[in-house]
Amino acid sequence: MTISRFYNAHIVDPSQSIDGIGYIDIVDGKISDLQLGTPGKHDTVDKLTDCNGAILAPGLVDMRVQSADPGAEHLESLSTLLAAAAKGGITALACLPNTRPVIDEASAIDSLCLRASRIGGPRLSAYGAATKGLLGAEMAELGLMADAGAVGFTNGTTAIADSLTMRRLLAYASMLDRPFIQHCEDPSLTENGEMNEGETSTRLGLIGMPSEAEVIILERDLHLVRRSGARYHVAHISTRAAIESVRRAKAEGLGVTADTAPPYFLLNELAVSTYNTAFKLSPPLRSEDDRQAVIEGLADGTIDAVASDHMPVDRDAKTQPFGPAAPGASGVDTLLALTLTLVHQNHISLSRAIELLSLAPSTILDIEGGTLMPGATANFILFRLDSSWIIKGADFASNSRITPFESHPVQGVVDFTYINGVQAYPPAELA
Amino acid sequence: MTKQTPNANSGHGQPEVARLSNRHILGIEGMSPLEIRALLDRGSYFADHPTDSGSTALRGKTIVNLFYENSTRTRTSFELAAKRLGGSVLNIAVAGSSVKKGETLLDTATTLNAMHPDILVVRHNCSGAARLLSRHVDAAVINAGDGRHEHPTQALLDALTIRRRIGRIEGLTVAICGDIANSRVARSNIHLLSTLGANIRLVCPSTLLPAAIDQMGVDVYTDMESGIADADIVMMLRLQTERMAGTETPSQREYFNLFGLNKDKLNRAAPKALIMHPGPMNRGVEIDSAIADDVEKSLIHIQVEMGVAARMACLEAVSLGAA
Repeated sequence: MTISRFYNAHIVDPSQSIDGIGYIDIVDGKISDLQLGTPGKHDTVDKLTDCNGAILAPGLVDMRVQSADPGAEHLESLSTLLAAAAKGGITALACLPNTRPVIDEASAIDSLCLRASRIGGPRLSAYGAATKGLLGAEMAELGLMADAGAVGFTNGTTAIADSLTMRRLLAYASMLDRPFIQHCEDPSLTENGEMNEGETSTRLGLIGMPSEAEVIILERDLHLVRRSGARYHVAHISTRAAIESVRRAKAEGLGVTADTAPPYFLLNELAVSTYNTAFKLSPPLRSEDDRQAVIEGLADGTIDAVASDHMPVDRDAKTQPFGPAAPGASGVDTLLALTLTLVHQNHISLSRAIELLSLAPSTILDIEGGTLMPGATANFILFRLDSSWIIKGADFASNSRITPFESHPVQGVVDFTYINGVQAYPPAELA
Repeated sequence: MTKQTPNANSGHGQPEVARLSNRHILGIEGMSPLEIRALLDRGSYFADHPTDSGSTALRGKTIVNLFYENSTRTRTSFELAAKRLGGSVLNIAVAGSSVKKGETLLDTATTLNAMHPDILVVRHNCSGAARLLSRHVDAAVINAGDGRHEHPTQALLDALTIRRRIGRIEGLTVAICGDIANSRVARSNIHLLSTLGANIRLVCPSTLLPAAIDQMGVDVYTDMESGIADADIVMMLRLQTERMAGTETPSQREYFNLFGLNKDKLNRAAPKALIMHPGPMNRGVEIDSAIADDVEKSLIHIQVEMGVAARMACLEAVSLGAA
């Protein structure tokens, strides 16, 4: 039995309401002990690591990642995705079913998870496509995918537009005790849309997508959730109206959760003013008022989680006029540092940031992680809260290098990522 | 840098060559009143001296007209303007061909760049396309219309037309009527005319009104008769017929009835009100034929003539680079 000890660490674990200097011991890939204060002696310890006051927190659980592999491996392979995630402090991630082929049957989940486990590093889970081929019509084999380990069901980057289909999907997902993840966007209001509708879209002559498109789908779904009792999760929530809707639903006691992504609390639609396609995202960047509402929602608990919304996009698909350019951007490299901006700006506490990035998503999806409780798998990170750097897509570990945060200054550097008690970042040969 | 005096006639009473702070003309938004006035002054000079201006600003220079949308009017206007200034013109119509082959706008830009044109005049169906090109080519870029965004030379020729007929722009009431949502002409005119102090009214069905347009300093009317009441200029915009088939508006008949310009409605405008249209017109749909052809009231043909003069001023200005 080998004991590894990480001491002199600033331990932040919202699952136990711990925020202070202390140490953890690791045995056989699991946390065997966690204590605040300074250890009296290290006699029984085999390997000692002085953390020099760095933050030690549970690893990030990224609940919204798109893998380009399988189907578009030239954009990003599973191995660069996992390496980039580890560098970003992510120890577990959930992938959308938007691969080619679509993850709409059990064997596709098996295959992706098995390949990821062979590569090693962050633990990859997958969502099952709610409908066959993500076409929004016929229900996919949700039960078989649940047995194969699907952590939830979603139609990926589109909403289920048909209300009857949605009602049945919620009922069925509820029976399987899996959450339904909805990209809330009414397709008929946003078809051909190029950016958020408002003064900026009018000035730029870009076709606007009204912000109401989000709350319209959400409100419809909430009525269906009330009837089915399903667990319902709103992905990348971005508008004030939708956030207020989630707040009311939670007060009512519905099983509703929500996540957002860094662009929606750090940027607004004005960023599009130069037609820079790195700012073309889905949902689109919203108004400043919406951005403020996202921050309020993160601070008061209406929004449960922050995900990277990582989406590999071909550079050719971005070097286009704004309208035909593809939406999406890279996210796993920058998830932690961008979210910590809210801590540095005093909108949320460090503990709340870790809750948003780790405990909450692991709870929503029932994925291992999110805690440093003795007995838990030793998935944790060490990072320096105040170390600053400038985001440069070219330096990403991810092969997907388009970011709306190019040249954006941030604070927070991941020094080490441990998965199952083993150092996953930096790769051992570089350490 | 010493001030350039590119033609021998400077100092003989003609207005100075317009100099711009930007090396491209991508839109009216952001242009100063001084820059706009300088272009109009110069444009007016070219209108008086279409073939004897003495300017040879484009001699030895290559101008490429890169048109991703069909437009005989604008393209020939630029071509004539460039030739009158001594330039060599290459017309490239990309509508369909290369686009269908998968060649991107930037592939085309790279190819063209290798030919070292001095000025690239571009029309594209995507908003922001001219700006995108300007970042990837060495040539100066003139936006000849990008999607729903801007059509700066159209606004300049419209202003030139108004100024030469009425003598001023400041204080005039201009009613812009029709498909505002999809119109780059409307946006450029809003920027230009409001920069020069005109009062702008927009008149259109509520389904063709873009979001938050009132924040651009205009008054919005959905009733044509009150919208053009006492207006000095009634500027009609083209409405694509497919938008009158039950989508944005119920029918052509209803559209002409509510928003088409006829004699009765025109009687509400100021007694000497003038009519403009960027063309091509849908006669009987947005404008009554008799009004369009009324030489006393219609400036439509003068607009075409001013198009060449305004574009000469623009081509000359960008040929000199940023001031």
